[in-house]
Amino acid sequence: MEAHSSQSIASLQYADPQVDELLKHSIRTQLESLLKAKLTTGQRQLLLQKSFVDAMTLVLSNTQVEHLQLVYAFEAMYDQAVQSMALAQLSQEQLTRQYVSASGLIMSPHNCKHTIKDVYRIKGYARGIDLAIQSKLKHASSITILYPACGPFAPLLLPLLSYYKDSQIFTSKQINVILVDVHPGAILSLQQLVKDLQLDDFILRIEAADATEYEPAESIDLLVLEAMQHGFTKEGQLSIAKHLVQFLTLDGWMIPQNVSVRGMLVIGETEFNQQWKEVEYSHSLNTNTSAQQDRVELGEILNINKSTLLNMQELELQDGVKVIPASKIKLPTGVKDMGERILAIYAHIDTFADEGVEQYDSGVTHPRPDMTFYIDAKPRDVEHTHFVASSGDMVQFYYQLSGLPGFVPVKL
Amino acid sequence: MQKFAVFTGSCQSLPVVQYLLQTNQLACVVLVDTQQNYDLMQLQHWLQQSAIETLTYKCSDDKGLIAQLDRLAVNRGLIYLFRHKIRPALIQYFSGHLVNIHPSPLPDYRGPFPLYWQLRNGENTTALTLHQVTESVDCGNIAADVEIEIHPFDTMNCVQYKVAQALPRLVEKFCQLDEKQEIKWRNQEGNGSKSAPQVEQQQLIVNWHKQTSKQVVNMARAGNVDSGCALFQFRSEAFQLLQASVVDSALTGVQAGMVIEVDRQNGLVIKTVDGALRLDIIGTQQGVFDGYRFAVLFGLEAGLSLVQKDF
Repeated sequence: MEAHSSQSIASLQYADPQVDELLKHSIRTQLESLLKAKLTTGQRQLLLQKSFVDAMTLVLSNTQVEHLQLVYAFEAMYDQAVQSMALAQLSQEQLTRQYVSASGLIMSPHNCKHTIKDVYRIKGYARGIDLAIQSKLKHASSITILYPACGPFAPLLLPLLSYYKDSQIFTSKQINVILVDVHPGAILSLQQLVKDLQLDDFILRIEAADATEYEPAESIDLLVLEAMQHGFTKEGQLSIAKHLVQFLTLDGWMIPQNVSVRGMLVIGETEFNQQWKEVEYSHSLNTNTSAQQDRVELGEILNINKSTLLNMQELELQDGVKVIPASKIKLPTGVKDMGERILAIYAHIDTFADEGVEQYDSGVTHPRPDMTFYIDAKPRDVEHTHFVASSGDMVQFYYQLSGLPGFVPVKL
Repeated sequence: MQKFAVFTGSCQSLPVVQYLLQTNQLACVVLVDTQQNYDLMQLQHWLQQSAIETLTYKCSDDKGLIAQLDRLAVNRGLIYLFRHKIRPALIQYFSGHLVNIHPSPLPDYRGPFPLYWQLRNGENTTALTLHQVTESVDCGNIAADVEIEIHPFDTMNCVQYKVAQALPRLVEKFCQLDEKQEIKWRNQEGNGSKSAPQVEQQQLIVNWHKQTSKQVVNMARAGNVDSGCALFQFRSEAFQLLQASVVDSALTGVQAGMVIEVDRQNGLVIKTVDGALRLDIIGTQQGVFDGYRFAVLFGLEAGLSLVQKDF
């Protein structure tokens, strides 16, 4: 008993005061519950592993699971994962550094930690990745998975690997994972989480590297790409995908298999407010028919898959900005209230087979209003840098790869 | 015998008053006709303690004042930080011996805010210029001037202190020339392409689309701890930018006004039209913070824009 007590105290010493004050502030509930529970390291790891397995069991289940049940399971996973992050003892600098790199936004681990609560993104990906792995392992004894820019928790893969380990569906001999992230804080956090989940055998390497330049020594069977922030903006996932797709084996797959980025013209109030007034949470299943009918769809602006990535032509503008030509779209005519409409860009993500993440399922598929795009209307701002066009105009969209990625319309 | 009346409304003129007092050339001090403020009260208190005769300027007319000046046999007038336009009757009373000290190399920076605009325009030097008062403000012939260096880190208070230090030197130079009747009045050369007007509220707000990094840096130090403090907007709220520094950035494809870094060491870095800028010190209603702490507390994330969109 005495030996047990001293072991408990030793294992709890990390929670206070070595955790950075900012992290301590933002996850104080989780730290308090950890302190109160007086768990040994082993007990805490078991709870962590269980939370990951439980969430994946629900996600992979083919029976209907209540939204709230999923939310609670993902909250539990988050609560446990942030305790591992606290154990990793990131300095405040490692925790909070965030910046815009040459190819996109690099978020801080402090801000990234919430992505593990993005229920339907992780669900769509985990189910897709699971099917892809099953399919690959029918014909191969082992596969290599590359997950670039995976963040501090690698949420699209680590929960699934925990599930495999627990259910012994696949072993670490069959699955080799390379995790890559440029942020030193994310790497420290990942190392701790992998250790706590006891998934070391599944992980071939955790690499601290810029994914737009990283060159894996191995051929890659599955390339897992996080979706970008909504409207397919800000983060450099397209640059990452474009660079890493060359390392896929001939029959290798990118997950998601296809991303379709589309544009629509909407009345902001109807699309983003009225549509959601009567529903509990925003999700593709909860969209409102009349709001959907009110949309004026512009069609697909960009399509991203293995094939389009391999054939993508990059242009460099005079100021060094790199762009990819996307679709040409003719702005519709005869829309009465065109001057009141705003452009919204949204993505539909097919992760694998029939699995995917649809509009409003996740922050990343949430339509993004572009308040700088004016049709049949004039910006009030005198010094504006907005795009102004008229009904019937032909617009060429470009996707900007440099700095903060996003779509740039040009009137033809 | 020269007998001076000093026209002022600020303690910043005390070096002049003291010099004239010590050299036995001070007859009186004429104070501004304005509401009481701390600076003026301090000045009045000091003058009272030093038993210096004070007269009050009246915005309505000069008759009473001229009579009092005459009673004191005042034959020289020196204006510094007075903020009233002198009327012809008073100018005539002094018969060419009424001078004003203007803190700029005239004819540049004529107007009520010369030091602010010189700092904001990033001038390396300024001058204290002593010139004859005419009916056109800041336009009279120059008798003497002294050059003052401006350090790249100087704020308004720093420059005001330097100006105060240089004041007695300038006045001594002028008095000696006057005594020896060696003043050589010279015309103000050139048109004065740079002006120093009243600062409009809109001019205090950082325009990320137009201003270079250096211009924002200078704007911040010109208004550091002053009513002309530089402001930037975020989520419809205005924050004071008290200090900023130029940083290198080779980033392309990022619009000016975008937050490009939040880091404990590197601080809060914003893209500008010609590079980038670190917001060093920010004043808020909740207190004064460095850029990093401000970003963390107020939720400024990399990738967010400080450009206010007007829809």
